[in-house]
Amino acid sequence: MTIQVEHLCKYYQVHQKEPGLIGSVKSFVKRKYADVKAVDDVSFHIDAGEIVGFLGPNGAGKTTTLKVLSGLLYPTSGSARVLGFTPSERRKEYLSKITLVMGQKQQLNWDLPAIETFLVNAAIYEIPDAQFKSTLDELTELLELKPLLNKQVRKLSLGERMKCELAAALLHRPQVLFLDEPTIGLDVTMQTKIRQFITEYNERHRATIILTSHYMADVTALCRRVIVIDHGRMLYDGDLHALAEKIAPHKLIRVEFSETLNGHRLEEYGEVVKTRGQRAELLVPRDATSGVAARMLAELPIADVTIEEPPIEQVITRGFEEAARARAERGESDEDEGEED
Amino acid sequence: MRYVRLLGIFYKYSFLSELEYRVEFLANVFMNVFWLAWAIVSVAIFFLHTDRLGDWSWPEVLMVVALFTLFSGVMEALLRPNVGAVLDQIRDGTFDFVLTKPVNAQFIASLRNIVIWRLSDVIIGLALIVYALRQMDIVPTMGQIALFVLMLFAATAIVYSLWLMMVSLAFWFVKLDNFTELFYGFYEAGRYPVTIYRGIIRAVLTFVVPIAFVTTFPASALLGRIDQTTTMIGFALAIGLFVISNRVWTFALKHYSSASS
Repeated sequence: MTIQVEHLCKYYQVHQKEPGLIGSVKSFVKRKYADVKAVDDVSFHIDAGEIVGFLGPNGAGKTTTLKVLSGLLYPTSGSARVLGFTPSERRKEYLSKITLVMGQKQQLNWDLPAIETFLVNAAIYEIPDAQFKSTLDELTELLELKPLLNKQVRKLSLGERMKCELAAALLHRPQVLFLDEPTIGLDVTMQTKIRQFITEYNERHRATIILTSHYMADVTALCRRVIVIDHGRMLYDGDLHALAEKIAPHKLIRVEFSETLNGHRLEEYGEVVKTRGQRAELLVPRDATSGVAARMLAELPIADVTIEEPPIEQVITRGFEEAARARAERGESDEDEGEED
Repeated sequence: MRYVRLLGIFYKYSFLSELEYRVEFLANVFMNVFWLAWAIVSVAIFFLHTDRLGDWSWPEVLMVVALFTLFSGVMEALLRPNVGAVLDQIRDGTFDFVLTKPVNAQFIASLRNIVIWRLSDVIIGLALIVYALRQMDIVPTMGQIALFVLMLFAATAIVYSLWLMMVSLAFWFVKLDNFTELFYGFYEAGRYPVTIYRGIIRAVLTFVVPIAFVTTFPASALLGRIDQTTTMIGFALAIGLFVISNRVWTFALKHYSSASS
């Protein structure tokens, strides 16, 4: 077992401010503090070599969990063990076996070519020369770094910089990777490249990887297992596709008609997502799927029909939207929990 | 040993990144000369009206100005780009990268960078000291020079420790710019011999924010007019503050909350 997290909690004390000038003055004089439960009783185990995706809306506690695991934050209660170490002790042996990549923060020296930062990291991590050379060669090949290494970082594009950031973070061949939004702000081609690289790295080195991303495509492409966190609480831990089935209340019926419809209203059968010529897609409640399909076959001139799971990205996005709506109806606000931006 | 090697590497790359900006380099040297002239003028102005400031003569006061310049060099070259930069790193979250490295965090945070051209202040300060000593026909003994050097190290330790404690507070309060400004305000007071101040201000500058140990007392050491008690207090203060600041820092790290991504 590589990562063991038991009943992990991380609360922040945040001062609360009423809006407006008077509120600001009040909070300047006397502050009201409230506990924000960024992570609230989260437990999970991850085996060596697994890639696990953390899903959840902004401020759900994903980043906070990663920060606790990489030793940046002390847990309020509960425990985390990674590779047999307690992260918050920040032991040298531990820190040289892990890495933390944050899509929105950079460690590369802005004014120097990336290779210079690599050399500094080589010294910090005490990487032997031969190993440094072979690792760098490998990363250069996988990430196509050759033309980038000797350019000042400030002259690189966002995507090029991210590739160099990844390389800088992996020079010491960490066994455990914490990737926080590694593809944020990148174009689709670059996202795909980074994804391919992560898969490749995982296969070559049997590295354990936890990934958070706003892009569902990252998660569907990389992770078989996902952990869903919302408002600090863990909602789901398991297979990605099983999650879709569990939270998707609908199935997708795709039909092709043998002739143009007239007189029949498709809305009677379900929520129409798309119609184009003689084709249409409908969302139908999961339990009613077979009944509706049978009725359509009987009543409409159908050439072909398929029943599918709706696209997973759509399902999960919807799932979060509905959860947020349900909370709003119960009168809980979204802002008093989660991390600040 | 490993840490010495790391220092070498850190400073090499620090130097390299400064070479990226040649014009800034020249502008900075020009600024240094300007600030020195300003420091001398601001003291010389008193001597248009009097020959003595407290019980300090013109060349003696010049020594204090020289130390003020010299120590500004140390601060700007070594302290501000390191301890001073921690505040910004905490705010923009890049301090995370310091904490995830398998090297003592205080070491990286305190010695990672050097602004090499600012060491020119140290050289200018030393030259001014030599000039002032010539004016007075004083040749310090080896013992006095050794004591002077030790007191400089003590001064660096004192200022470093105060700064580190201040920065540690930032782990709770995040935005502390005004605090740094306040500190610089006190430091400005160090351009005059502390003996010209009276009563409470003098006590504050000696014991609360011990700027006296940074400029006045090292100068006194070279002039041979320092007593043993003051010296001992200086060293005790340096060691004591260093130890305490290390504790405060370690304690503060536990409360680090890391700016969100």
